[in-house]
Amino acid sequence: MKKIYIKEEYCIGCRLCEIYCQVKHSKSKKIIKAFKTELDMVPMVTVEEIGHHSFAVQCRHCPDAPCVDACISGAMSKNEKSGVVTCDDQKCVGCWSCIMVCPYGVIKRKLGEKKIASKCDLCQDELEPVCVKNCPNEALVLAEEEEKDES
Amino acid sequence: MKADYLIIGNSAAGLSAAESIRLLDSHGSILVLTEENFKNYSKPLITYYLAGKVNLDQMYYRSPAFYAQKNIMLCTDTCIVGMNTEKKEVISAQGRKFSYNKLLIASGGIPVLPPIPVSGGGLLKDEMKKIEGIYTLTTLEDARRLKKYIEKNHIRKAVVLGAGLIGLKAAEACLELGLTIHLIELSDRILAATFDHKASKIMEARIEQKQGRIYTSNTIKQIKASQGTVEKLILADGKQIDTNLLIAAVGVRPHTAFIDAGTIETERGIIVDKHMQTTAEHVYAAGDVASSTDILKKRAENIAIWPLAVMQGRVAGMNMAGKRQEYGGGFFMNAVEIMGIPSISMGLSGPQESKDAEVLTQEDGSSSIYRKVVIEKNRIVGLIMLGHIERAGIYAGLIKNRIDIGNIKENIIREDFGLIQLPADYKKHLVVGEGIEV
Amino acid sequence: MALKPRQTDFEVVRDQDKCISCQVCLRQCSNDVHEYDSDQDIIYSDNSQCVGCHRCESLCPTGAMKIKQSESEFRQNFNWSPAHIKNIYKQADSGGVLLTGMGADRPYPIYWDHILFNAAQVTNPSIDPLREPMEIKTFIGNKSDVVGVDIDQGETFNMKLKQDISPQLVLSTPILFSAMSFGSISFNACASLARAARQFGTFYNTGEGGMHKDLEIYASNTIVQVASGRFGVDIDYLKRAAAIEIKIGQGAKPGIGGHLPAEKVTEEVSNARMIPQGTDAISPAPHHDIYSIEDLMQLIYALKEATDYQKPVGVKVSAVHNVAPIASGIVRAGADFVTIDGLRGGTGAAPQAIRDNIGIPIELALASVDTRLREEGIRHKASVIAAGSIRSSADIVKAIALGADAVYIGSAALLALGCNLCQKCYTGKCNWGIATQDPYLTKRLNPNIGTRRLENLLRGWSLEIKEMLGGAGINAIESLRGNREHLRGIGIGEKELAVLGIKHAGEAW
Repeated sequence: MKKIYIKEEYCIGCRLCEIYCQVKHSKSKKIIKAFKTELDMVPMVTVEEIGHHSFAVQCRHCPDAPCVDACISGAMSKNEKSGVVTCDDQKCVGCWSCIMVCPYGVIKRKLGEKKIASKCDLCQDELEPVCVKNCPNEALVLAEEEEKDES
Repeated sequence: MKADYLIIGNSAAGLSAAESIRLLDSHGSILVLTEENFKNYSKPLITYYLAGKVNLDQMYYRSPAFYAQKNIMLCTDTCIVGMNTEKKEVISAQGRKFSYNKLLIASGGIPVLPPIPVSGGGLLKDEMKKIEGIYTLTTLEDARRLKKYIEKNHIRKAVVLGAGLIGLKAAEACLELGLTIHLIELSDRILAATFDHKASKIMEARIEQKQGRIYTSNTIKQIKASQGTVEKLILADGKQIDTNLLIAAVGVRPHTAFIDAGTIETERGIIVDKHMQTTAEHVYAAGDVASSTDILKKRAENIAIWPLAVMQGRVAGMNMAGKRQEYGGGFFMNAVEIMGIPSISMGLSGPQESKDAEVLTQEDGSSSIYRKVVIEKNRIVGLIMLGHIERAGIYAGLIKNRIDIGNIKENIIREDFGLIQLPADYKKHLVVGEGIEV
Repeated sequence: MALKPRQTDFEVVRDQDKCISCQVCLRQCSNDVHEYDSDQDIIYSDNSQCVGCHRCESLCPTGAMKIKQSESEFRQNFNWSPAHIKNIYKQADSGGVLLTGMGADRPYPIYWDHILFNAAQVTNPSIDPLREPMEIKTFIGNKSDVVGVDIDQGETFNMKLKQDISPQLVLSTPILFSAMSFGSISFNACASLARAARQFGTFYNTGEGGMHKDLEIYASNTIVQVASGRFGVDIDYLKRAAAIEIKIGQGAKPGIGGHLPAEKVTEEVSNARMIPQGTDAISPAPHHDIYSIEDLMQLIYALKEATDYQKPVGVKVSAVHNVAPIASGIVRAGADFVTIDGLRGGTGAAPQAIRDNIGIPIELALASVDTRLREEGIRHKASVIAAGSIRSSADIVKAIALGADAVYIGSAALLALGCNLCQKCYTGKCNWGIATQDPYLTKRLNPNIGTRRLENLLRGWSLEIKEMLGGAGINAIESLRGNREHLRGIGIGEKELAVLGIKHAGEAW
C-alpha cells in the first residue's frame, strides 16, 4: 500500500499540514470559515519540533495495528484491501484504548458533541492526502515502500 | 457435538482466536460456546449501554453476518460445567457433550461477591437471586435487567460497592441516568488498584463535584431487605444508607469452575505457556481466564484487559491451527474516561510502585491534569495520565520494548513529549518500514 | 538612548477577516516580524523588522497577507532620495560600511533592453526548431588556429584530426551556473545547482567555497575556483574538477576581496574551505602573487601543469573600464576562457557604495572585449563567458550575438530557487534557505525541488533560445556567435551603438 513517508531533513515546521488536515476534515471544508467557526477541529497529523529538528507524523497504518486490537467498540478497523486503518465515528465511544496503545502517539481526542478518537484516514477521497499535497517543501511523500527514496 | 476447534467464550479472546483460526484453516469446523444469550457483544461497553450512550446494535462489535461469513458456529445458552481432557470433551449444564480436536478456554471472569449477610437469611451470594435491587454488572444481561429495574421502579439513588474501574463506570452510568450515587470502598481511596493517591484524589473531587458520596475504608456490614427488595444498607462504621439499588462491583476472578483440575493447572488463572497452551495437551487458554507472562512483574499474571485478550486469542488461535506463534507477554494497562476526566494508567504505578523507583510527576493544580512516570533502572515501568492523555501509547511502547530512557529523562514528563525526543536507535527501530526517516 | 529616526521599508498588511491565526507567518520569519497574542488570538506584525522577502506572504494559506513598500514618505526631494536619507541615518547610527547583497539596483541603463534581435523574412527561410535539428551545444576552451584532417582513403574511410584539440567543456546549452560558494549559499542550494548541472549537461561553479565532500560526485560538472584566499584548493580539488577558474574580480565588488565572518565558518564550511572552524575567511583584494599579466600566466600554467593540461583553465574579471586590454592580456597569458562579470552581477555581501558605483555594464564590456580580441586575431584562443545579470533567454541570445560563447547565471538561478531579491544575503537569515547556514533555515530548500526548478529554467530558456535562433534562420548557435548584424539598438546614442558595434533599429545592411 502507498504510505506517507516523512523526510525529516526537509520539514520546515510551518505546520501547513496540520492546517490543511483540519480543513479537509471540517464540516465546511472552507479554510477561513472552518477556522473561524469550527472550534473543535483536531489535526490528525502532528508536527513535532525541537530546535531546528522537526517532522510531521500521522498514522502509520500498521500491518498489525494495535489500535484495532485494543478497540472495544469495533470502531477501529483496518480495511483488508487498502490497508487503511480508520475509526468509525458512529461506533467510537471515546474509551481511549487506542490512544493507550498507539506507539506513535498519533491518535487524538476530538471533543465535539460526542467525544471520539480521531486519526488519519489517508484522505481516501483525494488523489493524495492533503498534508502531502500541501507540504511546501515535499517533506511528506506518498509512495510505495520501494519507491520512497526516489526523488 | 464435535468440532475441530472448540472455543469456550464468545468475547475478545474467543472471537479473536476464531478469526485467526479461520485465516489459517478455511475448512476446519469452529464452534463457539457461550453461556449468554447474545452474539459477539463488547463487554466493556455494558456500562455505556446502561448509560444509554450506545444502543443494543452498537454493542455488537462485529457485523451480524460475522459468524456466517466466517463459517463459525455459535451455541448460546450453553454453560459449561465440566470437562474431560482425556476424552477431549466438555459438558454443558444441560448435559450436552462437545468434543474437540483443539480446545480454547476463553471463559473470562465472573464477579466476586463479598460475604455480606442479608436480613432474613444467608449471605449475599446465595440471597441475590431472591432479592430485587441487587446487581452485579459484568454481562449485557446484567445491564439490561438493571436498566429495566431502574426505569420500572423510578430508582433515584444507586449505591455501588467497590470503587474500582467497573464500579466507577457503573456509578457514572447511573449518574447519567439521573440517579444520585454513593460509592463504598474498602480501601482508603477510590481506584486504589490502579491509581496513586494524587490521581485518586482528583477523581474523588470530580465525583463529589457531581454530588456523589464516597465512603472509603468502609464496607457493607449488612443488607436489609423488605418484601423481596433491598431497602437499607448498614455500613461497617454504623452509617446507614436507604436505597433500593445496590450494584456490587468488588471485582472479578477467572471463571475456572468447570476445568479439569487434574490436568489443567491454575495460579491466578489458567497457567499457559508462550504458545497459550495449558498444562493439558490440545487445550489452550486466553483472555481474562488465563495467567500469562507479565513482562514487568516477570511472572505469570492474570491481566484482565481487552487488548491482551485479543492478542492472546490470536496467538492461541494460530497455534491451534498449527502455526507456531509465541506470545510476547504484556503488562497491565487501562484507559477510561470517568465523569469527563480521561485517564490512562499502565504498568507498575500507584500501589505497585517499588520503593526504589524514580518518579517524575507533573500536575496542573487548577485542573484535572496530572501525569506521572515511574522509572526503574532507566526504564519506564509505570504511567498515570489524567486529563491530558494524548501520546500515552508512546510510553506504552517504551515500557514494552524496555527502552533505556536515561538520556531523555528530562523530556519524558514534558507536555510535548513525542517521538522526536525518543532515543535515536529506538526511533529507528520503531519506524522501520513504517515510513519515518530519522 | 538617542532618538532614532524610524526606518521602515515595508508594511505588513494583514486582512484580519482572512487571517486564521495559524501562525505560519510567524514560524517562517527569521526576522521576528510577527508575534502571536494568545489572549486576543491575533497576530501583530512589527513592520520595522520586515525585509520584504515575502516568505510569509508566500506560505499564508488564506492569502491574508501582503507586503507593501512603506507608504511613509519623506518630503519630496529630487536630490536627496529616500535611499540616501535612510543610508545616512543608518551610518550615523552604526558608523560602519553599509553592506548589501545581490546585484546593483540603481537605475543605470540596461542595454539588453535597448537591443533588438532579428528574424528571417522571405530572403532566407526561418526554421522550426520542433521539426528541424537545432544545435545549441557549446564548447568552452581554446580553439585551434587551424584544423587539418587526415583521411584514410582505404576501405574504412577513417578521418582523423591532425592537431591535438585543447581541453573543452561541452555544454548542452550555452548557460552555466556562476560562482556561488558554499558558505555564501547553503549546502542545499549548492546541491541543487550541482544536480541540475549534471542532469542538464552543464556546469556549476564552486566559487571560493571549496568542494563539499558530498558534492564530489558531481565533480565532472564542477568548475572550481582558485581565488585570492586559495580556500579549499589542493591538488585533489583541482584534479577532480571539470575546469578551473582563477577569480580576479567579481562584478558586484571589483577591487574588493571577500570576508566570510567567523560565525558562518561552520564545521562543514571549514572542511570544504580547509580552514579552522570559527575563524574569519578573508579573501584578500588582490592575489598577492599576481601583480602583472606575466604573474597571471604563471598561475595559469601552474594550474595547467598540475592537471596535466587536461582541463580548461580560465580567468574571471570584473567589467572595469580597461576590461578589453585586460582580457587581451588574459588570453595571451594562456587562459582557455575569460569570464567577464558586469556591474549588475550579484554577491552575497558587498559594500553598497562599491556594488552600486564600480564597474561597467556587461553589455558594453562584452562588446568591447569581443571586438578587441577579434581585432587582435586571438578571439578563437579563448572562450568568452558573459556574466552579471542575465535575466532571460533573450538576454542570452543578445549576449551571444554580441560575442559571448556562453553566459553564467547566478541571480536568475537563485530566483528559481525561491529568492525574492530582498538583498539581505549578508545577514545570514535568508528565509528561503539559500543564503544562510542556519540549519533551521537551510532545510527550507529541498534540493529535490531546487534541482527540478533549475532544470525547468534551463529547459525553458533553451527552448526559447532555439525558437529565436530558428526565427532568425539560424540552426546552430555557433552561427550566431559574434554575429552583431542580427542586433539593432533602440533609443541609444551613436557612442553606445559604436561601443556595442551594432546599427540602430531601422538601419539595414
